[in-house]
Amino acid sequence: MLDVQDIVTAYGKIEALKGVSLAAAEGRITCLLGPNGAGKTTLMYSIAGVLKPRRGAIRLGGVDITGQSPSAIVARGLALVPENRLVFPQMTVAENLEAGAYQRRDAAEVAVDIERMYARFPRLKERRTQLAGTLSGGEQQMLAVARALMSRPRILLMDEPSLGLAPLIVEEIFRIVGELNKDGVTIFLVEQNVHMALKVAHHFYLMEQGRVTFSGEPGKLAEDEVIQRAYLGTSRQASSHKTG
Amino acid sequence: MLIVDLVQSIVDGLLFGATYALIGIGFTLVFGVMHKINMAYAAASVGAAYAALRLIALIGGPAWASLLIAAAAGGVFGLIIYWLCFRFIPLSNPLATLMSTVGMFLLAEEIIVHTTDGMPQNYPVVVRGILDMGEFMIRGDLVFVFVCALLAMVVLLYLLYRTKLGIATRAVSQQPVAAQLVGIRLNHINALTFIVTGMLGGFAGALIGSAVGLLSPLLVIPLTIKGLIVTVIGGLGSIPGAIIAGLLVGMAENVFQYFRGVTERDIYVMLLLFVFLVFRPGGIFSNTVKRD
Ligand SMILES: Nc1ncnc2c1ncn2[C@@H]1O[C@H](COP(=O)(O)OP(=O)(O)OP(=O)(O)O)[C@@H](O)[C@H]1O
Ligand SMILES: [Mg+2]
Repeated sequence: MLDVQDIVTAYGKIEALKGVSLAAAEGRITCLLGPNGAGKTTLMYSIAGVLKPRRGAIRLGGVDITGQSPSAIVARGLALVPENRLVFPQMTVAENLEAGAYQRRDAAEVAVDIERMYARFPRLKERRTQLAGTLSGGEQQMLAVARALMSRPRILLMDEPSLGLAPLIVEEIFRIVGELNKDGVTIFLVEQNVHMALKVAHHFYLMEQGRVTFSGEPGKLAEDEVIQRAYLGTSRQASSHKTG
Repeated sequence: MLIVDLVQSIVDGLLFGATYALIGIGFTLVFGVMHKINMAYAAASVGAAYAALRLIALIGGPAWASLLIAAAAGGVFGLIIYWLCFRFIPLSNPLATLMSTVGMFLLAEEIIVHTTDGMPQNYPVVVRGILDMGEFMIRGDLVFVFVCALLAMVVLLYLLYRTKLGIATRAVSQQPVAAQLVGIRLNHINALTFIVTGMLGGFAGALIGSAVGLLSPLLVIPLTIKGLIVTVIGGLGSIPGAIIAGLLVGMAENVFQYFRGVTERDIYVMLLLFVFLVFRPGGIFSNTVKRD
């Protein structure tokens, strides 16, 4: 469904992505692991159109979306739950959800979807008139996910949804990720929580210093080694695993 | 009677201050969305009032039509300013748009001076008459100005808080990256903001013209400065702040004028600005709680 080919994205002269290729298969959960500064967020923003890659190609459902605007990419059915959630702090929970449906013209269906979000995230319903900036971290994460879902994406990108959250909330988030996937949404997930990520993922990638250094199914690599490489980025000796 | 006269200047000042509030809202809204100051704003607003004057002189029409024409012209000028001074200028350089809009300010002022030979022009008065309340009186033209400005604010707040485009505008000002991620086009919202604030400014310019009874190029600089003062006192980006600060500046100006005369009053308005900059640099509502 999502196909990234050899993309290079730079901030000024510094290349944060040095030729990244990976794919997220339709209907599956694909995970991207890697240490801080590996370029995971840069990759997510490059796919979503917020950053423009210098080279390479990104295809979504077979269509080339490289260099397209974020709004065009949302219209093609991709949504990103950004790192640090980025809710609209001075807007209510309900308004955040409405903003998520910005491109939709079916007001009645949008209202139905908002109710669906409230059913899935009961805490948001309780807080529908509260300003998003006053929600707890976990609630903000739920809101960011719900907001992204309001565009009815075919593929959902999530950038470290468990960041800074208590274990119970993390479990909850991953349960929802699994549910969404069962409902047919393709998931592409960046995670630092290796244990949880390997539990839900069908396929995962390791990324270090702007390059993909491993690709495989969970179980192909022992969890401790993934942890070691994802957190510490110490894989130069293990680069025999290297794939494209 | 000192007290009666003082109350009289306070009331007059509050009523006229509504126009400053509109100009302040214009500055603050553009700042909220783009984090830039549009220095040409007040000049374009006065320019729009002139455009309405010209058009009425040309094709005729009732006095109140000047308000609507000025609003329309203000919207067009706003869009022109956006395209010439913002759209293709590198926004990462904080001085670039400041310089481009100062240039536009000078251009607008020059155009006004040249097309009017620098002479003040009479402006159509919409409402005349004075309501005599015994000890003091209420000027009908100022009440009209106040009510119109209030209406414009209600319309603006409705647009911002009750419509989809309003949600998009607030989204862009609060979290531009997330706004893009939900599919909002920043360029569209920026352009829309310039059109809407331009309309507010043109409307305010015409209201000022109708209350003062004339338009003069000499209005441009004081209106720019007062608009900026209102924006600072109200807190950059805060619409309620701009409204309160506009009324406050209008009132203070009249009170200072009452005590110190028209030649000195702006000195004290400036002093008021410094007091705020020192003691409340974030504006009237600066202590609101934020969390992220
Ligand atoms: N706006 C920016 N300007 C310059 N350099 C940046 C910018 N954003 C990120 N970088 C650099 O690009 C590299 C990749 O950053 P990125 O945020 O993509 O990493 P990450 O894998 O998401 O890390 P984390 O796990 O900490 O979120 C880092 O070296 C970072 O310093
Ligand atoms: Mg990151």
